[in-house]
Amino acid sequence: MGSPTEADLQTVVGRRFPGGTYTVEPWRAWLLADTVLAEPPSLRDPAPQVAHPLFAWMAATGAMGLTWDELFAWFGATAADGPVFGEHETTLHRPLRVGGTYRVTGGIESAARKVGRRTGVFDVVGYAMDLHDEGGAPAARCWNSIVFPRRDA
Amino acid sequence: MSTPTVEVGTELPAYDVPSVSAEKMKTMAALLSDPTPIHWDVETLRALGMGDRPVNQGPLNMGYVMNAVTAWAGGPQSLRRLRVRFLGTVLAGQHLRVRGTVSGLREEDGARLADCDVVLEVVDGDAVVSGSATVVLS
Repeated sequence: MGSPTEADLQTVVGRRFPGGTYTVEPWRAWLLADTVLAEPPSLRDPAPQVAHPLFAWMAATGAMGLTWDELFAWFGATAADGPVFGEHETTLHRPLRVGGTYRVTGGIESAARKVGRRTGVFDVVGYAMDLHDEGGAPAARCWNSIVFPRRDA
Repeated sequence: MSTPTVEVGTELPAYDVPSVSAEKMKTMAALLSDPTPIHWDVETLRALGMGDRPVNQGPLNMGYVMNAVTAWAGGPQSLRRLRVRFLGTVLAGQHLRVRGTVSGLREEDGARLADCDVVLEVVDGDAVVSGSATVVLS
């Protein structure tokens, strides 16, 4: 798969993700907390519990409505090309809840080609997703950048 | 936490991950539906000339930073914002440490907020994540 041109990149800016909904299932909240070395929520306590804040990112990317491979393909890349995280920002308007369901919307916000002395040509793509709770209130926003190495550009 | 002692320049307690677990990376890959094999397949790592130690997922590194600031501030409900830049890779078996320093204190909608500079570093190595966090002080 060849690298897109800079003009190709700009055609993707503004494209919206299909979006979807994400539920912080208790089993997933437990496993994620355990995996990230945090205290897992109790599966036996019926009281409302706060989910690990990493769930903002989990929900955003889990319900953006396309797979990572599909997102990479928007930029003429595959997982084998070695795309990596650049920067990330999570803003939590309210704590996320174990068992809560969130509607996810978002899309591509920016794309730019850069040249590093050591790294060569690479593209930096910015994308963002908003989470709303079941009542429609804003719950969180995740902004991210992803870096695509362009060894053949 | 006794918030009256918090001031600009206050250092957060160091948060250590004594040894990054390759097994946790496998669970994370499944939770994320992440197809990237450098997080779990040693054969791929060797073929890419990356040795035989799986590379930790960026969100896990970010999660350690979240743990550090929320443990200090009073719980997972305290995080308002986290912005991070990924500077390098973390490999299985490495010893990590999160350090943080309060850079600002302010009030917003009746809540007392602390802005903190944060860094995740490999102990005796380089910084791998740096950024800033905002937490609500309880």
